[in-house]
Amino acid sequence: MPKFTLNGQEISFEPGETVMQAAWREGIEIPHYCWHPGLSVAANCRMCLVQVESGRQMEMPQLVFDEDKGAYVPATKPKLQPACQLAAADGMVISSTNDEVKAAQAAVQEFLLLNHPVDCPICDQAGECKLQDYYYTHQATLKRKLTEPVHKPKGVRFGPTIVYDAERCIMCTRCIRVCDELAKDHVLDMRERGNKNEIVLAPGRELDHKYTLMTEHVCPVGALTSRDFRFKARVWFLKSGKGVCTGCATGCNTHVDYDPRYGKVYRLRPRDNPDVNKFWMCDDGMMTYMRHDTDRLDMPTEGRGQERRAIGEREALELAADKIRAVDPSELAFVLSAQSTTEDNLALVKLAEALGADRMYLAALGGWEGDDILRSDDNNPNRAGATHAAGDIELKSVGELLSDVQAGSVRGVVALGWATAESLKELAPLATLDSVVSLTSHVGALPAVAAVTIPVADIYELDGSFVNEKGISQSFETVLPPPVGIEPAWKAISDLGALLGVDVGFTDLDGLRQSLLESAEAAQ
Amino acid sequence: MTAQVKVIKKPGRTVAEQVYLPEIAKGLGFAMGRFFKNTFGPKASKEIATVKYPEERIEYPERFRGIHRLTQRADGSPRCVACLCCSTACPAQCIYIEPAEYEPDDPRYGYERYPSVFMIDELRCIFCGYCVEACPCDAIRMDTGMHMPPSTRREHFLYDKETLLSIPGRDGTYLTANPRHEPGDPTHPGIDREHGH
Repeated sequence: MPKFTLNGQEISFEPGETVMQAAWREGIEIPHYCWHPGLSVAANCRMCLVQVESGRQMEMPQLVFDEDKGAYVPATKPKLQPACQLAAADGMVISSTNDEVKAAQAAVQEFLLLNHPVDCPICDQAGECKLQDYYYTHQATLKRKLTEPVHKPKGVRFGPTIVYDAERCIMCTRCIRVCDELAKDHVLDMRERGNKNEIVLAPGRELDHKYTLMTEHVCPVGALTSRDFRFKARVWFLKSGKGVCTGCATGCNTHVDYDPRYGKVYRLRPRDNPDVNKFWMCDDGMMTYMRHDTDRLDMPTEGRGQERRAIGEREALELAADKIRAVDPSELAFVLSAQSTTEDNLALVKLAEALGADRMYLAALGGWEGDDILRSDDNNPNRAGATHAAGDIELKSVGELLSDVQAGSVRGVVALGWATAESLKELAPLATLDSVVSLTSHVGALPAVAAVTIPVADIYELDGSFVNEKGISQSFETVLPPPVGIEPAWKAISDLGALLGVDVGFTDLDGLRQSLLESAEAAQ
Repeated sequence: MTAQVKVIKKPGRTVAEQVYLPEIAKGLGFAMGRFFKNTFGPKASKEIATVKYPEERIEYPERFRGIHRLTQRADGSPRCVACLCCSTACPAQCIYIEPAEYEPDDPRYGYERYPSVFMIDELRCIFCGYCVEACPCDAIRMDTGMHMPPSTRREHFLYDKETLLSIPGRDGTYLTANPRHEPGDPTHPGIDREHGH
């Protein structure tokens, strides 16, 4: 493999790679604004200038102040090259830290801050802004320009999701390239020149495609801000947990940013994964965090409609056990959920097996449009995982469950999750049954027809895994503690099994995961 | 080199002191003299260092850190732009702010935001003054010269935005000596495309 030397360190590269790419792969950062590993090379910010010390040196004329003569005299300086555009060659010796390069970086940084409003206290990017970071690492000098900066439009609404501030913009064109290359929609462009440069919308258009929040995500400064996250939190208060998007069967990897003081999730950010989502997520996926707080079921309930009342946790489990006991296992339906983790689904399957029931159904959401960029046609993150938990059999739909109920072959239902494509009206036959138990984190049509509901932990409150449409199983961690008295569904199912006097075959999450592993190995 | 030692003679007692009773009489006489002078004598002759709080009060030193106030602009709105610098600097985490955005037709839109909720838990506050140091807008000050008014109810110590705005500085005004240039003012540095360039 060919190699080049960067700051004394040997880096191997694939032929055709640029210096920046090879260094990035090795985890070495050459300072940059406009380069992004997932986008094309623009080489317009000039922050990644490096000196190629091997080979013939190109020189540039410059004027240097001579103290003795008291005047500027002609001199030369080496010609620097942008690392993001510089194709790596075998044996190259490159420096990104020598004095010439440092002077260039400081000059570029000062140039970019020339007309910057420095309104960091009210800027949402503050704390994760590259202008701030590089100011400390590469400039750290006082401002020399004392005249009034050039003023440009502020707070321009680009669409339903994005607000643009031209004064903060450094014209790196990352947002334009995201629209062009990721969303395939040339809705943003640049106009004017020099310090009057600004990003503009295509005439008659709004920034309204499915990947608008990615423009904000790639913006290295505070020029583009998300209208949802705008002014909501300061990023230095936020902690980050690893999650998987629940929006669709693609299973994009996410950072879940939450404030530990209030236990509140503020936003999702894509987490790099070259096999699944690369660097990106869609807008709908980014907004799935809002489900967490809205319409939570926080108390166990009994009864339906007007007669619904809150009961104690133990009372709810005992009541659920009574309802299940009242129905013959052959007439008992178990509804898995394509929105719940593989572990929770497997726990329910194990309860069904322990009871000797074999009617398995799958509840899933619908009404969603996929595309050929990231979005899957199926907006359920774990249809494959739920199917696998049930032993890779064809699971019947909720529609079939309703007809089975009407035919009288099903007299009791144990349902996991809140998500169904069917409306409350369509689910009405279930409300005629006495034994409908729902284990759910949120309220919804399915819990609404249940005689007993048991609240369980939401997706950010448990360890679990999803299997995406490509068959990749991705696990995620507990981000927030669940509300007091609420447990993950597998735990509630284990308690239910103990009350029913059957051996469900697991006592903890490791046990469940072990049996998942065994079944996966058996399948191979 | 030898150390120089200075010997101090222990003061002895005279016979009159050792007899004890004359000294007691002298001491009692002095104390009773002060008692009658301070209780019944003319005011000018009194030598009491303490005051009869709360009827009488001593003014706190000029840089005393009293309860907080939020300073106002000329139009009565808060100077605060809800940047959360104070709550970041606060070691007691007693400041809670919810920022909000001006409407697009407001001249401040894009340049500023404002606090829709600004709450200080004065019981949790340790009066360190870091919030005042951190504030880039001179919006929060502790120059009220007042300590906390006592109360028997906890929620009385949660000072909201309106309460904080209604506390004047020691000079009786709600402003600060530092002038402001509002967006839209001719003196404000920000000029939009319609007005210049």
